[in-house]
Amino acid sequence: MSRKALLISPELCIGCRGCQTACKSWNQLSAEKTQNKGTAENPPDLSPNVYNRIRYVEVPSAANPVRWLFVSQRCMHCGDAGCMKICPAPGALYRTKEGAVAFNKEKCIGCRLCIGGCPFNVPRYDAKDKIAKCTLCSDRISAGLAPACAKTCPSGAIRFGDRDAMIDLSKKTGYAKVYGEADLGGLGTLFAFRDAPAVYGMEEKPAIPESVIFWNRILRPLAYWGLGAAVAASLLHYVAVGPKRDEEVKKDE
Amino acid sequence: MTNHWVDLKNSDVILVMGGNPAENHPISMKWMMRAQEKGGKLIVVDPRFTRTAAKADIYAPMRSGTDIAFLGGMIKYILDNNLYFREYVVNYTNAPFLVNPDFKGPRDLSGLFSGYDAETRKYDKKTWSVQMDEKGLPKKDVSLKDPHCVFQLLRKHYSSYTIDKVSSITGTPKEKLAEVYKVYASTGKPNRVGAECYAMGWTQHTVGTQNIRAMSIIQLLLGNMGMAGGGINALRGESNVQGSTDHGLLFHILPGYLPVPTASVADLKTYVEKLTPKTKDPKSVNWWGNRPKYITSYLKAIYGANATKENDFAYSLLPKPDEGMNASWLMLFDQMFRGGFEGFFAWGQNPACSGANAGKVRKALATLKWMVNVNLFDNETGSFWKGPGVDPKAIQTEVFLLPCASSVEKEGSITNSSRLAQWRYKAVEPVGESKADSDIMNELYVRVRRLYQTQGGAFPEPILKLTWGYGDARTGKVDIHRVAKEINGYYLEDLFDKKATPPKQFGKKGELCASFVHLQADGTTSCGNWLYSQSYTQKEGKVINMMARRKTDDPTGLGLFSEWAWCWPVNRRVLYNRASVNLQGVPWDPKRQILKWNATKLDKNTQKPGVWEGDVPDGPAPPMADEKAGKYPFIMRADGKGALFGPGLADGPFPEHYEALECPLQANLMSRQRINPAVRLFYGKKGSQEADIFVSCDVRYPFVATTYRVSEHWQTGVLTRHLPYQLELQPQQFVEISEELAKEKGIANGHRVVVKSARGEVKAVAMVTNRLRPFRVADSTVHQVGLPWHFGWQFPEDGSAGDSANLLTPTIGDANTMIPETKAFMVNVEKA
Amino acid sequence: MSNMIKKADAFEIVNHWTTAISFFLLVVSGFGFLFHIGQVGSVFGGFSQMRVIHNYAGLVFAASLLLSVFSYLGEALIFSGEDVIWLIKGGGYLSKTGKVPPQGKLNAGQKGFYLLLLLAGIVISASGLTIWLMPGIRKWLLLSHLLHNISFDLLLIAVTGHIYLATLANPGTFRIMIYGTVPLEWARKRHAKWVQKMGF
Repeated sequence: MSRKALLISPELCIGCRGCQTACKSWNQLSAEKTQNKGTAENPPDLSPNVYNRIRYVEVPSAANPVRWLFVSQRCMHCGDAGCMKICPAPGALYRTKEGAVAFNKEKCIGCRLCIGGCPFNVPRYDAKDKIAKCTLCSDRISAGLAPACAKTCPSGAIRFGDRDAMIDLSKKTGYAKVYGEADLGGLGTLFAFRDAPAVYGMEEKPAIPESVIFWNRILRPLAYWGLGAAVAASLLHYVAVGPKRDEEVKKDE
Repeated sequence: MTNHWVDLKNSDVILVMGGNPAENHPISMKWMMRAQEKGGKLIVVDPRFTRTAAKADIYAPMRSGTDIAFLGGMIKYILDNNLYFREYVVNYTNAPFLVNPDFKGPRDLSGLFSGYDAETRKYDKKTWSVQMDEKGLPKKDVSLKDPHCVFQLLRKHYSSYTIDKVSSITGTPKEKLAEVYKVYASTGKPNRVGAECYAMGWTQHTVGTQNIRAMSIIQLLLGNMGMAGGGINALRGESNVQGSTDHGLLFHILPGYLPVPTASVADLKTYVEKLTPKTKDPKSVNWWGNRPKYITSYLKAIYGANATKENDFAYSLLPKPDEGMNASWLMLFDQMFRGGFEGFFAWGQNPACSGANAGKVRKALATLKWMVNVNLFDNETGSFWKGPGVDPKAIQTEVFLLPCASSVEKEGSITNSSRLAQWRYKAVEPVGESKADSDIMNELYVRVRRLYQTQGGAFPEPILKLTWGYGDARTGKVDIHRVAKEINGYYLEDLFDKKATPPKQFGKKGELCASFVHLQADGTTSCGNWLYSQSYTQKEGKVINMMARRKTDDPTGLGLFSEWAWCWPVNRRVLYNRASVNLQGVPWDPKRQILKWNATKLDKNTQKPGVWEGDVPDGPAPPMADEKAGKYPFIMRADGKGALFGPGLADGPFPEHYEALECPLQANLMSRQRINPAVRLFYGKKGSQEADIFVSCDVRYPFVATTYRVSEHWQTGVLTRHLPYQLELQPQQFVEISEELAKEKGIANGHRVVVKSARGEVKAVAMVTNRLRPFRVADSTVHQVGLPWHFGWQFPEDGSAGDSANLLTPTIGDANTMIPETKAFMVNVEKA
Repeated sequence: MSNMIKKADAFEIVNHWTTAISFFLLVVSGFGFLFHIGQVGSVFGGFSQMRVIHNYAGLVFAASLLLSVFSYLGEALIFSGEDVIWLIKGGGYLSKTGKVPPQGKLNAGQKGFYLLLLLAGIVISASGLTIWLMPGIRKWLLLSHLLHNISFDLLLIAVTGHIYLATLANPGTFRIMIYGTVPLEWARKRHAKWVQKMGF
């Protein structure tokens, strides 16, 4: 099956947040008791009950009072996913055949290492200490439906389809640079940006933390090979040099 | 909308002014952004930098209530720079008409038009007339040079709307004005089209109707009416407002925009004579000339066999308000406030929060003996007796709640802003004891009728003689299809087209009408609403619900989708579409061809050459250039012309800038007349109520305020404040204030503040933002604030949302429609 | 048994076994986590339970490590020139006839091993506790994860060597951890200075 992806175009987003509600509705997430803190943006952060939210980004502008951008924040479904890499519990995070990074609460052990592995600060933990995040509506897409957010988006700001087609679409509609085309093994949540990612509050070069890569490349194999080498060296010593026996001691004396 | 939602994608320039579609009509933005993708420009004019403005190519800030100054400046710009579409203006509008030489305007009379009576605050419109020749046709100067011609009067009227003056009134920077004018006026070319979208930001002013008139003038000057991608588009405030207005929601119109007769219009003959527009111009279709057919068919629909030629089709049974009586919202609640009503049905509404000057409305409710609240949920209206500051023991009103079904719990049609009537189906059964509104009405009617039958009463006939064949014999429930069919209308006799030889049969007795063209004034047809004739029809004996159609063919590529549902009139997707072609019937812009005259093709019905191709034309007659049968494009006007000069309105034939009732200025910079001279004042005269107090240019209330809506809530929030998901997104009342004002008042972002007007106060969270900037008006700084009106004291139950912003708004209405002015009033903001 | 000498008291023996068993559980479960070994998870009753066991075993390990200070730290901190020579000569393990200077109760290798164990043990415990109890600060979480794994690798290799040296490489040693005593000869050969000090 070809890899699927969301194409998010902040330039087409009108900030209506239908996607936030549709996401909650489909995933049966409960509402949070929020407060207006002087911004229209709410809830204030991703949470175990908020898989997707629109950030209201205000950028200085010469022509207007501000430039007001609406940017979705959610799991990016990395092709090379830091969360999956670091996760110690097999099956807690897994890749679906459509390429989404999904989770299984039954298998999650609540260690929160995925928070460290994620370059985008996405995973959240619920009251039972289980991971919660966008799954690209794996249950919907496996049945041939679009994710709830894409389905409800009235303006075409969130589109869903084959990843290659989404990249093509973005390029054809004048967004030469597709955020996430190549980074992190290619993101499953692509962004069509008109300007530098920083304008939208995103990292220019998102990456899995160096320490996690070092751990994965060196430390983890070292545990395996190190143990093996230590055992092998011991055996070698035993055969080649041999043990220190007390009899020899006696003989020496 | 003269056009329709999908059509917005065909525009070169879209002006959004008086509306905020990204937040209140989100789907429309899809089409606007399609236009932008093709190089179209989106212009947003709004006091606040809204989510729509965030998508705009050009954003121009403008102080609330100064739209006419802004648009008047554009008219002057178009005229001064010869950017109007001359061929269109000369032929399709009343620009060449010569006006009565006694007519005087605000430039002559310091802000007034001729005929003003300060005592009654009304105009005698005698001089607002057109000169007629001996044949009874308007006198014209097609060179547009005569000083009395409409065109020259228009030029004179707007001569003082210079960019300097407009800027000092609106607070819009001059270069922004120039930019907006330049870009929008670029649509005056035949191959360029501009559309306007407005909502309550234009209507809810004392000059609301004139705001829209001003834009109509611009659209006619630029030749944008009737064009694909053009028009004036009212984005309705609720999904079925168009439908309810079409079906007689307002006090002064019967279904299909037939005037409600006043008491003095004693019989049908008088009604027809007095209220049917007339013309002597053979080229004018004057479609309203058909009014006798429509009113008679309407009477046949509602009184059935009880309406006969002999009894004047039961015309006497129609309810008729007294002469001069105004039964608009503001007047009803004013009367209620004064103890004028015993009972009140609050049906699908929440006036305790939605009504302007809601504090007065809440007091008015306390004068009632009884109230029936028909709603999905209890609301601030039904529970007014336990609201803030109310002592339940002091209230004598008995309140009944009739729970009704939501839109997904019943079948029927809704008509959206595109005039598109779409049939919808029931998804789930109504919850608990709730019922569809129609079933509640049905039961109410049946019981009231029984009371009249058994106990008698004064004047029982209007009830007893109604047709009421909606109930299903078995269940007693309303069969909504029967209502839809009654609205469409029936042939009551076998009906023939007598003009054809041999006479051709229109339809058989008892069949559904094919279209309003077949309606008759002799009682042989019935029709509940002529505009909807053809919506539920019959073809070759087969009954077809046109509103249930779901075909997605789009042969023109212009998004007409003519076989998706059905729109009035007769499925015409763009109104006045005959104005989209030149006098010979050739489209002004071949790229946007919604209509084209094919002179050689045979007409299927008449077998004569010459047919219109494309959308359903505004009448089948040949184009205007045809000597014998050609017709003018604006068929709903008696003279067939688009009205640059519009003498029909109460406050002047040309829109003139007046300040809002409550404004920050001591004087109107445009003239000596500060506020609209034709509005009905509630306060400041004998017998006026303190509840209606207003203040202007008062240091206690120094800031201009406007109310508005946000995407996350619906109207007064009765449907959304119960939804935790929606509350999560927008939990409570807030007020947007500029950083400059916040600094002045020592308010920080997120602070609790109190917003006060002369009438009430509302607690809110301060949203300090750059998106709202102070205006430079008349060489001083004017601050504007804005707050949504979705909230109320009842839900959420902890009161955390705050109360309605309408506690602040004044009791004053538009001079023509009496819609309340909630988009410009004065307040103060203080730290709580 | 007059030719036996007591090298470890009961406390030391019990504590050592506590360390050893907890360490074993930690290593096995750690391998389960590192390499997603389902069978290991099953043995522990699933990964969630394995995490609980790992965490509490870690607490036990940390506690026993701290207690071990009383048994070894004093000795381990005293280094002398002989220790250096011992180290240069690879503890005499490099050939069958390797000679080293006489050692105290702990030889230089043991001192080194103990200090490494203590240090890496503290690091692995502290980082483990951070991951367990304070995962909220991502920077710390990542640092802890890194340190936890570095110290794990070190401990794994060092402890493997320790086990070899205490069993196969030095027959007779293992009994210390059972009886606490060793034959005098065994002790003279390996810890001559200590034996002398003890008055034998």
